[in-house]
Order: sequence, then structure tokens, then C-alpha cells
Amino acid sequence: MRRAKALLVSVLIAVSALGATAQGALAFRGDVWSNSDSFTAHCLGFTDTWPRQLYSLNTAQMAALGYGPIGGALGPGFTRSSFLSNVFYDWAVYAHTHGDNYWAASGAPNVDSAILQDPGTGNCSSFSRDAIRSSAIKSATYGTFYNLVIMSTCKLGSSASTMPGAFQIEKTKSSTDRKFYIGYATLTYDSSQFRFESALWSYLNGAPSHQRTLYQAFTYAASIGGYPVPDSANPFQPNWWGNPNYNGTPGWM
Amino acid sequence: MSEVRTIAKAKPFLAVAAVVLGLAATSGPLPAAGFTKQTSGLPGVPASRLGQPTVTDTVLYADDSPDVFARAGAVRDALGFPAGAARSGRHVKDGLQDAEYDEVADLGSAGQPISLTQFDGRGRLVTAVRFDLPPGLSAKVTSDQASKAAQGVLARSGLTPSGKAHVEPNPVAGGWDVHWPRTEAGFPVRGDETSLHVWQDGRVQSVARVEHQLSPLPSKRLGQADAHDVVTHQFDAWFAGRSSGYTVQNMDLQWVEPNAAFDPSKVGAAPTPYRLAWVADATPSGAAAEVIRQITLYVDAGNGTVIGGDVVE
Repeated sequence: MRRAKALLVSVLIAVSALGATAQGALAFRGDVWSNSDSFTAHCLGFTDTWPRQLYSLNTAQMAALGYGPIGGALGPGFTRSSFLSNVFYDWAVYAHTHGDNYWAASGAPNVDSAILQDPGTGNCSSFSRDAIRSSAIKSATYGTFYNLVIMSTCKLGSSASTMPGAFQIEKTKSSTDRKFYIGYATLTYDSSQFRFESALWSYLNGAPSHQRTLYQAFTYAASIGGYPVPDSANPFQPNWWGNPNYNGTPGWM
Repeated sequence: MSEVRTIAKAKPFLAVAAVVLGLAATSGPLPAAGFTKQTSGLPGVPASRLGQPTVTDTVLYADDSPDVFARAGAVRDALGFPAGAARSGRHVKDGLQDAEYDEVADLGSAGQPISLTQFDGRGRLVTAVRFDLPPGLSAKVTSDQASKAAQGVLARSGLTPSGKAHVEPNPVAGGWDVHWPRTEAGFPVRGDETSLHVWQDGRVQSVARVEHQLSPLPSKRLGQADAHDVVTHQFDAWFAGRSSGYTVQNMDLQWVEPNAAFDPSKVGAAPTPYRLAWVADATPSGAAAEVIRQITLYVDAGNGTVIGGDVVE
């Protein structure tokens, strides 16, 4: 009897430990990444405060949408290896950093979009060292699907972007799957990204029971105006692909 | 191929396993609703990441707020938005957007919002938007036709922006964006505007009016040469000893909102009225150009201090 009780306790402890690990690593996890060291006084002479503000906004709101735990990092924890080793487990991914549509290793006209990792404390950005290519991300996802991907960078919402495909999100606005990608098509001020993302989350999470859709939230945020632009060649143009009827909550059904 | 398929199924399977094991209690349940009324911590988010502003609302009923619903109905009809099977209203204190507004939504037969109107505390239209998908590519209005459609809608809505409309195609959303930038005392107010998005069939999808409070004009104004000195002094200080340079592309006077862009101590501070400032756009070179495409600096036109700016990463 005593032996049976000891066995039962051992099994319960083992299951709890396994479950805690599974819950922490495999539940509807979201990662929020923000590159801040590229934008500090060490590199630029001033500290750009937008990366921190965007990180705080998106970690809180992604959790409010139902993703958890929220991983990722602000600053030096946002490394290429950390991003790529965690992305498989994610259901939602957010990144605020420098991004663009670069020529692929095979050369023009092939594009392999990229974002830059945080260069680490005391370092400044170098594309050759810091780029996280969409092709590398795609490999690291092993073909799994993603509910919500937000690339808070320049250019990765343009038609040339290969970043949606890295997360198995087709560049269509009529998907019926539970997936949604948001990016900006042009060069965009940080303040405009912050205004847009604040409005997006305000609308999406601003009603009970997740009854609003990401498309509605996107449309609302894109419609409120008040977005300064760097120049006339770069109007404020956020973009989306995915399912217009999807409310953004995690899960595959 | 079979290996990829097997792995592709692993994420959902393992998520199910975590739930089936009944171990969600190890980190608390997933939130069932939005963050309105949120008063405690969010699961999975360290306390250091909290302190975010919230959105709270109170329901508005047509019987108690007939003026709000009447305004919303008038705007909806003026814009040509479809009428819903029902309507809902609420008064919103929106901490994320730092705004307070009355909102009325027209609802479809399934209860989903099909359009929305928002009004400020003085009953003036802030935003109106319809949520149905844009039409196909069958009809394409010209820039002039889009501008006229926008002007007609604004006149019917009681909005009378001054000046000339700026019309630009929107290749992402389709159709045209029509803007009337706001100017006061002869200077543009940065970001303030009346704007519309016109679908390619000529119907209006959205209207927005952005208007911020302005400080009085400074009694004595910094000249452009002196402002340029402030700008170069600031950039020289920032880039000294670094393998980066800059080129000031242009400078002009604008009303701007002082912000915390370059001053972490001001993050989270309450917004203040816009101030007249010299706005300088600079393009970095060297190492800084790896991650920064443009730096914009605001120099107070009255006292010559740097009061904020913006960055294109």
C-alpha cells in the first residue's frame, strides 16, 4: 500500500512537471521582439524610445487577445538564434526592428526579406551579422501555421515581401484559415506605427468576448488618419493578408 | 515530405496535449474577454511589462442618448453606409489612443459591426468607417471623381475643411486617399487633417477628422538660420566620435506635439498642446544608416529647445 502510494505520488509529480513544461513551452505562445540596442545613445548618440513603447504595447495586448505565455525580448535577448529556436512554438509573432526586402542569395530579381536582430549591448547593427532572413524563418517553422504575425518594420507589408510566406500565410485577403499578417508597405515613422498599433489593439480588444475581427481592427486603425509621413513618396500604407473574418484569438479551429 | 508533415502537426498536437493534461492552472487560465475592465495582471506577462493604459466603456442607449444616435444615423446616411439591423452605442475612455469618445455601431443580422461612427465630447465627428470588404476591380473612378465624391460627402456631413485636397492613389487598399491637411496661422499642423478613403467605385469607405489643441504662437520666433544652428549642434553632439554622419534635407515651420522620442524620462507623460517648431528632416550616413533611414527633429520656434521628433527605422 505504501509502495502504491509512493508510486502514485511519483506519477503525479512527473505529470505535473511534464505539464508545466508543456504549458510553458507549447501553449498558445506568442513572441514579441523589439530591437532597442540599435537605437541607443551608444550607436546613435540618442536613445530612440519608440522600440520600448511598442514592445510594452504589444506584449500586453497580445496577452489580452489570449496568447500566453508571451515570450520574446526587448533588447539583447532578441537574437537570431533565440528568434529561430523559439518560432516553431509560437502561434503569434511580433517584431519591431529594421526590415526590408533584400535580394536573395540567388540574386535579383529574387527577394528574401529580412529583419535585423538586436545587435546586443554595446554593439551597433550590421546587416551581414544581424539579418534574419525570411528563408531562415521559414525553415525554422517546419511548415507549422501561425495565427497572427505583425512585422512592425518598414516595407514588409509590400507586395514584394516574402515574410508572410515564411509563416505559411499566403498573400491573399480571402483566406478562410485562422491567420492574419500585418506589415507596412512603405517607409514609416515610428510614431505612425505606434499610433496605428494602438488603434488596432484598442479596437480589437476593446469589446468583450473577442467579437471583433482583425480586419475590422485593421480597417479602423487605417481609417483614423493623422499619420505623418517621411515624404510624399512614402504615404502611410499598412497592409494585411489572411482571413477577413478572423478575430485573432489563438488556435487552429 | 512526410517528416515535414509530421512536424507540422506537432504544434497543434502539443498544444492540445497541454490543455488535455489539465495543467493550465500552472500559469492561470487564458483570458476569456478583452482587456476592458482589466484590473489585475495578464497571464504570462511579467509585471514589469504591465502598467499599460486600458480601454473602458459604458453602454449608451438610444433612449438615453438620442442626440448621439441621431448624429450617428445622419453621418451614416450622408456617407452612404448601409443601415444595420440594429445599433449599439457606448461611451469610451480609450487609454490606448488617449481619447474619449461616443461610438455608435450599425450591426448586421448576426450582430457583427458593419460600420462605426465616433464623436468627440463636443459632438463633432472623429471617425466613420464601414467594415465590408472593398469592391472588385470592375469600376475605377479617377482622381478628380474621387475628390468630388469626397467633397460631396463632407458637405452632407457638415464638415468643411479648407484648402486644396491632396489626392493620392492607395495601391495597397485600392482606390484613393483624399486629405485636407490642417493649417493654422499659415503653418501646417503635423498629422492633423480631414481625410477620406474612397473606394475605386467612388463610394466612401471612411472619414476621419484629426484636430489637436494648439499653444499660442510664440511672441518671438527663432529664425531659420538660428534654428539650423540648433539642429546641426544637436546632430553634431549625437554623432561625434561615431562612424556616422548626417545631411539635413529640409526644414520648415510646423505645429507639432512635443514627445518623448529622444527623452526616455518623458515616456508616458500626458500629451501637451502642439507648439510651433522648426521641423528638420535629416538622412544619416555611415553606421547609423544601417538601421535608420530618417531622423526628424523638432526645435521649439519660441525658445530653441529640442522638444521631440521622430525616426524612420
